[in-house]
Amino acid sequence: MPPPVAASLAPAAPADLDRSCRWPVLVLGGLSAGWLVFAAVLGVLAAIKLHAPGMLANIEWLTYGRVQPAAWNALVFGFGALAGLALALWLMVRLSGVPLAGTGTILFGAAVWQVGLKLGVLGVLAGDSTGIEGLELPRYASPLLLAGYLLIAPWALVVFGRRQRRESYISQWYLVTALLVFPWCFASGYVLTSFLPLRGVLQAAAQAWYLQQLWVLWFGSLTLAALFYFLPKLTGAAVPSRSLALFGFWTFVAFGGLGGLTRYAGGPFPAWMLSLAVVGNVLTLFAIYGVGANLLPSLRAALSRLSGNVVLWFLGFSLLAWLTAGVLTALNSLATVRHLTHFTLVTPGLDQLAFLGGFGVAALGGLYVVVPCLLGRDWPSRFLATLHFGCAAGAVVLLAVAFLVGGLVHGAALNNTDVAFLTVAKRYLPFASTGTLAQLLWLVGSGAFAVNFLWLLGACARTICVPAARALVEPLPAEGKA
Amino acid sequence: MKHGPLLFLGVFAAFFASWVAGVLAPHLQIGGQSLVQIDDLGIQYPLDRTGEAKQGAQVYRAQGCHYCHTQQVLQEPLLSRLTLTDAGTNITDAVAALRKVRRDLDADAATELVRHPPQVILAHAGASATDQATRLLTNAGARVESTIANLGPDLRRGWGTRRTVSRDYLRDQPVFLGQIRLGPDLANLGARQTNTTWLLRKLYNARIDLPGSTMPRYPYLFTERRLRPGQAPSPDALALPSEFAPPAGIEIIPTREARQLVAYLLSLRSDALFYEVFPPPTDQCRDKTGRDHERPVRPNLVPRP
Ligand code: HEC
Repeated sequence: MPPPVAASLAPAAPADLDRSCRWPVLVLGGLSAGWLVFAAVLGVLAAIKLHAPGMLANIEWLTYGRVQPAAWNALVFGFGALAGLALALWLMVRLSGVPLAGTGTILFGAAVWQVGLKLGVLGVLAGDSTGIEGLELPRYASPLLLAGYLLIAPWALVVFGRRQRRESYISQWYLVTALLVFPWCFASGYVLTSFLPLRGVLQAAAQAWYLQQLWVLWFGSLTLAALFYFLPKLTGAAVPSRSLALFGFWTFVAFGGLGGLTRYAGGPFPAWMLSLAVVGNVLTLFAIYGVGANLLPSLRAALSRLSGNVVLWFLGFSLLAWLTAGVLTALNSLATVRHLTHFTLVTPGLDQLAFLGGFGVAALGGLYVVVPCLLGRDWPSRFLATLHFGCAAGAVVLLAVAFLVGGLVHGAALNNTDVAFLTVAKRYLPFASTGTLAQLLWLVGSGAFAVNFLWLLGACARTICVPAARALVEPLPAEGKA
Repeated sequence: MKHGPLLFLGVFAAFFASWVAGVLAPHLQIGGQSLVQIDDLGIQYPLDRTGEAKQGAQVYRAQGCHYCHTQQVLQEPLLSRLTLTDAGTNITDAVAALRKVRRDLDADAATELVRHPPQVILAHAGASATDQATRLLTNAGARVESTIANLGPDLRRGWGTRRTVSRDYLRDQPVFLGQIRLGPDLANLGARQTNTTWLLRKLYNARIDLPGSTMPRYPYLFTERRLRPGQAPSPDALALPSEFAPPAGIEIIPTREARQLVAYLLSLRSDALFYEVFPPPTDQCRDKTGRDHERPVRPNLVPRP
């Protein structure tokens, strides 16, 4: 139901806006925190299995080929998508100055998504995976996710359509892109690989396209929406150039989605597909330049204010990680580099750097801002937040080192046919242990976040429930005296 | 940007264009590929798998073997090796031609080469260098033979005899191209490994035959069966060396899934030759390992017996 026209004319106060989206954002954020911890546990298991193949080998559900995709899906669709949607709703409401409509539908959508993803992850662990990396969710789960999404996301677009100022904000451009991209790439990916599968290697082409949209356009847009909102807000430095931002945005949208096939470079595909992907990846550097040139100065200006401002650490780190990942991805698509990195963990490492370091850290930073606004109460423990940042940043750096350096070592050994294969596999082992250390750090950080979150919710519940309970127990004083 | 619709349309257009380029156009180009009729063998390639092997592919999928194993063989651009097989009647002309092809040879070395065919003249040459050399030498009355010389690391590791092409995967659903090689490529496993017992042992515990292997164990694809006193061991039981063997009176029997998986593994081969599999010729003689650069072969001055 659209609100009355009069209501949408009067600019709403931030408190009213927050009240309108409190439940959807809190529920989505809370669910994403749960998935974050769950995915981190699975991630640790998967990482250990790479260097200790005997661990828990008797349990079919926990074999490497199942925990690995289960962890991935829990992280990407549990933590990533839900946190992204929570932030997207909140940012859209704030930036448009219009209260959120459709709260009930959104909550229902969150439940549908949650059920779908639980089924899906259990299905993968039970051996029902589709067998296509990144699109593993079984057929009985993936449609639920899409349905859940379609119940949630359109409301953000409705808010955008009703926005107060016709002139839109940079973050809004990226939000609109993200919101439009996801259903399309998700549907295309799943339909063309598991419902009406394309023939032969075309499935892999559809998968490569989907992964590119997912990483670059969906999570990339969400990252940039958060960065373009929070960084100027926190540092007090306005974005220097709107035209540069426009340039960055359109180059991002135009070229960001083209680079998928470099994952299958040299593979059984028509040669032009690879050339196009390389060109796309290299041209995306324009977008990276546009973002960097606009946001890095504000970060530099805020260097002095950095101490003690945990949220700013999160967002600054995310910006640096995202930019690094973008530059390295372009580099990694060049033939000479790819020859060395092909079939190693370098490519997944870059995905992880952009996803965990860029999106994940930005989304967490965003939640550190948003949740207190919604609950009207600050985080109970500064220490836990600082610990979270330290662990998350350390985990991302370690993981990047393990995957990138380890990948190069692995790639050099693979190309050197004088090295027997088992030796090749063993050269990666030290890096696999580093990866486990990184996953453990990430788990500790996620745990700190979850504890802080629960603590905050508990404190709020106490302030609401204790007086209410007391009122129930104590006789009403007014009656006797009247 | 004042115009919401413009934003929507722009994003939509960019997005649609990338979908057309990444998904639709490839589908239009190779989506209609048909099986290859190979007359010499009287088969349609790729061969259909047996029912057991098809079920095995589903075990492979469910166990997630493709997170460590690829099924694609890469090959570098075409390079050839040119061999002088016969110098012809006019030795002087042949020597002159050879010295045009191999400017590093002095007259004596060239004469020596020409006198004792067959001799490799060019080891890893691009297409136009090979063509030119062939022309020069045949004009001088000599005879040469060119063969494919480049392999690239995959072929040198014995993971295949040629690169894999899109037709190799026409019957696969899902396609297990794989992106990471924590284990060896399996595209041609069936061509290099035909021993069922060895494969079953590899699945039961890869460290039996290869100490230190990092491949996971799949013990749950096997059942333990207790032998009654005096009962003869089953012929299906896995023969295991003593340190991996179960306690006396218990034998390890592969489950149906393990057998299906092995049937699938044995069915893996993409080595049929047809027009599509030859890599495109090129003049670049690149091999980033630094081993296959076009380099003159040292003349073999020791005459063959
Ligand atoms: C954690 C990564 C990993 C997973 C998962 C994995 N493997 Fe392996 N695999 C390896 C490594 C490493 C080797 C090389 C060492 C060896 O031969 O034991 C290997 C070797 C092999 C070989 C021998 C190949 C050759 O050329 O000699 C076969 C066959 C094989 N794996 C099949 C499988 C199957 C089937 C599965 C799924 C049930 C599987 N692997 C899952 C890592 C893995």
